Amino acid sequence: MTEKTVQLKVMRYKQGQSSPTYQTFPVTVNENTTVLVALTDIRRDQDSSLSLRHSCHHASCGTCGMRINGEEQLACVVKVLDLGTDTVVVEPLNNAPLLTDLVVNMEPFYDRFNTAGLPFIRESEFLPDAEVAEGIENYMRCENCIECGLCVSACPIMGSDPEYYGPAALAAVNRVVEEPRGLETESLLDWVDNQKGCWRCHVAYECSEVCPSGVDPGGHIMALRRQLTRRRFSRLLGG
Amino acid sequence: MDQIQPTTDPARPRNPLKSWFDVRGRKVGTWAFALNRLTAIGLTVYLFMHLIVLSTLLGGEEGWNTFLAIARSPLFLVLDVVLLFGVIYHALNGTRVALVGMGFAARNHKTLFWVLSAIGIVLFLVGAYLIFTL
Amino acid sequence: MQNTVSRRSLEQMSMERDRSGSLWIIQAFSGLFLVFILGMHMIAHHFIVEEGLRDYQQVLDYVANPVVFVIEILFVILATTHAMLGTRAIILDLRPSLGATRTLNWILGIIGGLTIAYGIWLAFALQRLVG
Repeated sequence: MTEKTVQLKVMRYKQGQSSPTYQTFPVTVNENTTVLVALTDIRRDQDSSLSLRHSCHHASCGTCGMRINGEEQLACVVKVLDLGTDTVVVEPLNNAPLLTDLVVNMEPFYDRFNTAGLPFIRESEFLPDAEVAEGIENYMRCENCIECGLCVSACPIMGSDPEYYGPAALAAVNRVVEEPRGLETESLLDWVDNQKGCWRCHVAYECSEVCPSGVDPGGHIMALRRQLTRRRFSRLLGG
Repeated sequence: MDQIQPTTDPARPRNPLKSWFDVRGRKVGTWAFALNRLTAIGLTVYLFMHLIVLSTLLGGEEGWNTFLAIARSPLFLVLDVVLLFGVIYHALNGTRVALVGMGFAARNHKTLFWVLSAIGIVLFLVGAYLIFTL
Repeated sequence: MQNTVSRRSLEQMSMERDRSGSLWIIQAFSGLFLVFILGMHMIAHHFIVEEGLRDYQQVLDYVANPVVFVIEILFVILATTHAMLGTRAIILDLRPSLGATRTLNWILGIIGGLTIAYGIWLAFALQRLVG
């Protein structure tokens, strides 16, 4: 097994600091070492104050989203040597308030789902008999989206307008419009029919490029536009 | 009414201009978007310049001929080629954005981009040749 | 049917509509028409007229053609509308305040209106010049 020492240049930030800095750590990796493993190695062997968020290690939970060499990815499935650079730059997601090091505050991200009324989170048909965990009424699922926030970080418009609903919430709204399962969709369409909603998108499709679950948020936003354009014309023609 | 939580990050304030203008590390979609904006700004300036130039027609033949003498200079012809690029790019990329936004080829936007790029390159080369030879 | 998990009422959500969708549709359709008209404009100006439109009399004769006259007026209306809406979109991405956005809407409306009025006046003035 080939081993190589790679420099991991990690963004560092602690509350109270005026702005983030970078710290470089030498890490010995082999062809199986993921960025997430390299970071946890740093935490274990070099600097226990390095904060990061992770859980499943297999691209399922969406918690280890970060920017690796400038690109939004899940650190658990990116192998360090596959990147092909001697120095790997690791930064937290953009367009989310930085809490510490590689950890961002996901509240604004989830708030967008909440303010839409969470209509797209529907009762799971897969777990009818499962024991429900404390604090929730039912197990729910949200289609393919793993809520990692990569799309929001990559979106050029989120950086221009911090109140833009963003790709994840808009994609979720369109899933309900596509497949209402009895839910009323007109008010949801109204909610996205504004400057902060689906008309803000500038069709750069960065969200779809970085989505690790193939949700294609850009395609969903365009589908919402199609619905709203049709609705406008049909109202104009008295339909 | 509940206001949506802004994504503002006090630790990393972002220049709004930089968020769309800085295309480093971004994919072709952001490049297409940024170039669309740059050509849009150029074409808007050109629209006003075009109206000013056409106004010289009101001043009689002499004023128009003075403009023509400038318009035939090599530097002006190069500017014409830049304008041609701006027009073709903005027209074709704008067509893609309009079609995709109305739900046509929304999931095949990349193919549409490359097909229109190929058409654009041919139009540009033919147009640039004609600018220098007519 | 009520949305059982909604934190806000359906009425509240419906109130959040604004006219940006209509503006986008105008932007898209004016753009598509412009591509068509600009195509005709370029071909007619530079390829149908031998050696391109160049001398003074050629240009005046061209503008005097009734079809060209209508196309040029349509062109100035569509191009200006498209340009003003595009400028607005670019400036909105610089995060203007609500008040600044309102002022911007007025300024762009006035500039656009004046440009269209001037363009139409110019087309008529050139027609008169030909007699």
